[in-house]
Amino acid sequence: MPPRLNLFTARAVPVLRSSATPSAARRSFTTILNANRPCAATTNGLTTPLQRRCNSSGSDGQGRPKGPTEDPLPHVSEEAAEVSKIMDKKCDGAPSSPELEQGTPVSEILRRDKDAQKHAPKVMQDQMNRPSGSRSFSTSAFRMQELQANNNPSSSSDDASAALVANMIAQVTEQAAELHPGLKFPAPAELPRTENFRKRYDTVVDQFTKTIMRDGKLSKAQKNMSFVLDHLRTAPPPQINPRRRLVGAPPASQLPLNPVLYLTTIIDSVAPLLKLRQQKGIVGGGVSVQVPVPLTLRQRRRTAIMWIVEASEKRRDSQFAYRLANELVAVAEGRSGVWDKREHAHKLATSVRSNVSARSGTKNRMG
Amino acid sequence: MVSSFCWGCLTRLPSAPRALLPPTLTAQRVAAFHTSTALLAAKKGASAPKYRQGTSMTMKKKKRPAERTRPPAVGERKALRKRIVLSNPNALEIPDMKEVSNETMVDSRLRGSVLGLPVPMLDQLRAVQAFQPKQGWSIFRRPGTVVRRETLEIARLIDGISGEGEEKGKVVKKIVSGARATGKTVHLLQAMSMAFTKEWVVITVPDSQELVTATTAYAPLSDENPNVYVQPEATAALLSRTVTANPVLSKLKVSREHTGLKAPVPAGTTLEDLAKMGIKDPAVSWNAFQALWAELGAKSAAPGFEKGFQPRPPMLVTVDGIAHWMKESKYNNVDVQPIHAHDLLFVRHFLSLLKPGTGQSSLPNGGMLLYATSASNSPTIPTLDVALKQVAARQAGVRPSAPEFPHPDLYAKTDQRVLDAFDSYGLPAPKEGTLELQTLAGLTREEARGYLEYFAHSGLLRENLTDEWIGEKWSLAGGGVIGELERIGRRLRVNTA
Repeated sequence: MPPRLNLFTARAVPVLRSSATPSAARRSFTTILNANRPCAATTNGLTTPLQRRCNSSGSDGQGRPKGPTEDPLPHVSEEAAEVSKIMDKKCDGAPSSPELEQGTPVSEILRRDKDAQKHAPKVMQDQMNRPSGSRSFSTSAFRMQELQANNNPSSSSDDASAALVANMIAQVTEQAAELHPGLKFPAPAELPRTENFRKRYDTVVDQFTKTIMRDGKLSKAQKNMSFVLDHLRTAPPPQINPRRRLVGAPPASQLPLNPVLYLTTIIDSVAPLLKLRQQKGIVGGGVSVQVPVPLTLRQRRRTAIMWIVEASEKRRDSQFAYRLANELVAVAEGRSGVWDKREHAHKLATSVRSNVSARSGTKNRMG
Repeated sequence: MVSSFCWGCLTRLPSAPRALLPPTLTAQRVAAFHTSTALLAAKKGASAPKYRQGTSMTMKKKKRPAERTRPPAVGERKALRKRIVLSNPNALEIPDMKEVSNETMVDSRLRGSVLGLPVPMLDQLRAVQAFQPKQGWSIFRRPGTVVRRETLEIARLIDGISGEGEEKGKVVKKIVSGARATGKTVHLLQAMSMAFTKEWVVITVPDSQELVTATTAYAPLSDENPNVYVQPEATAALLSRTVTANPVLSKLKVSREHTGLKAPVPAGTTLEDLAKMGIKDPAVSWNAFQALWAELGAKSAAPGFEKGFQPRPPMLVTVDGIAHWMKESKYNNVDVQPIHAHDLLFVRHFLSLLKPGTGQSSLPNGGMLLYATSASNSPTIPTLDVALKQVAARQAGVRPSAPEFPHPDLYAKTDQRVLDAFDSYGLPAPKEGTLELQTLAGLTREEARGYLEYFAHSGLLRENLTDEWIGEKWSLAGGGVIGELERIGRRLRVNTA
């Protein structure tokens, strides 16, 4: 806890000056010094080291040292005033001592101090010279309105039309408020995500492009991606396998006209819901068991994209983009092995589903 | 079984005197006389700092798995690269789409709409290689081009030249220039489609770069002219293109005697057969081409050949990417010095057409020369830029002696042959126009609307085409640059998050 009075910034520092009344000065000075010691007892300027507990009771009032709140210290400025009264001889309300009354108006100080009046800022001097009650601005706006309302009660023809207009305005405002609460004008239409030039591609297209990127060559990946999308656009509509339908897709004949939707549907249809995580410490004995873990949307898509890219590597077309595009169409038609992978992953996850509860049980035991 | 002796007794045994113990055979014991080598030898293999070796970490390179798939067959990748797909059966068909015909090509009301190319003409256009792989024909149901102001201008010229009016037999010479993706090559294609409609003879050089990159055979013309070179294979390819694309040639008969070919050409031979002589034997292809050119420019038949002579149709000659012809080629002469492109006879022939013909016009039966620059694939040739500026200045009526007439930088290397190629000394023959420069820029907003509506009708663009939206895209496309509009049109705006 910092000391309440900073000795080095006090206006009158008693230590540095020789004083005519050393005892009084010392007393006040010890008061200052002991301010932070709640248990210290001060008797006639002598400080006795006390072994007594602070809050012990039963002692008489005279010899008993005062508690921290029993003898409140004088205010800082009172103390400073006392000090300066001792140190400086001309202590007669002169400005060398601090004002003891809190919030002494400046005007009062100026009134009793002619010298300060002379050096006061010009604004204050103007204020002092001006007769009171006259302002350069008016504060009677409400009264003026009332006066106007009282003076013209008879002009009824103007009033009717004005009321009509006011009524109309109010009506329109109400309508607008109903349509767009809190807005004066209609809200701007929300821009689709792809209109931002930093995110100009669809989420799936973006993720796919970045996944097929190798060696940081984004431009090449984009070129491949545009080929893939063009292939989806121009290839004949997929012959859907009834056992492996695309999830949530429009009729197959409509797919090529929206290649981004086509791609999204393909990826979402073969994306697995779960993955298996090898986890130790569930059954004990250092044995790791497989625990099915749910995947987020982006993770699911990433797995599907990786599977598709992997499967495309086995194709015999000469170029990567061709292999990839053909593989995507194969997935759409249910010919690809990616579907089997998905089924296999789900089957495995189902077979080890009992480990999920084992894991949660372990967690509970530990926590 | 408990051992009979006590460990405590053993530990309390007095230590035997040293002399009694057998000497331990450590290295230091053995060579106690000098220890340094023994100490060093003991430290061998320990982790002493190695001062002579680099201390930085080296990473092992991962070995790539060996490529199992066999590489694609020779030419397969190029074929894929050059493949041109002109139809997308998934795209919607536009029911009331008009085709290029004698009537529609000059109809100014159709400005801004997209005219389809007639299906029978597609083979001809493919033969002259009018389509380029990256022009985006493959996303529409059928190929079509937008009618812009410049298209209508050229259509009127073609109509006038093949008509019976005072424009008949006129020669128009234009150099098509402009920024990237402003539709220069498609402008040539539109001119070709109109010329085919009017049954002109169309001769094209779709890729001027092929002639100067030393990828096709070359030889000196003759012993008398060792400094000019012919390119037999390239000429044969040109003849082949011309024959395939122009069925008119089979109706026209030779009108004079031709020497230089292996066998004399009898009267009654069609021009198609004449050209095929050159295609079959590339050694005489240049002579065959010259014979064909002379026949196409013939105005009357020589004596003995009058039977079956037909007036020759006008010609359209197009060259794309002329900048490649304005520098030294990759060919070398016998002194292993590079040969200037203007010393190749093929190039020289087509460049000489730009100049006013001597005596008669360079295309005696009328026609049009359209030579386009390229902005995406072209070498930087400052002299060509100056030469084109001079063409524009002459077209604007600035005299060469005037101070504002552009001149090449005095302190830069100037290729005088390039300047001369575009300089038209002397008076042109009657009906022969002077060389003009046509600079293509973006479409107007109305034309852009028509073009984007074409996307919308084809089912590729799913937008509400308001004026505001179109203006926005027009601005985004650099003021209606058509290639950029195409990219905007085919990019899907997806509303899903």
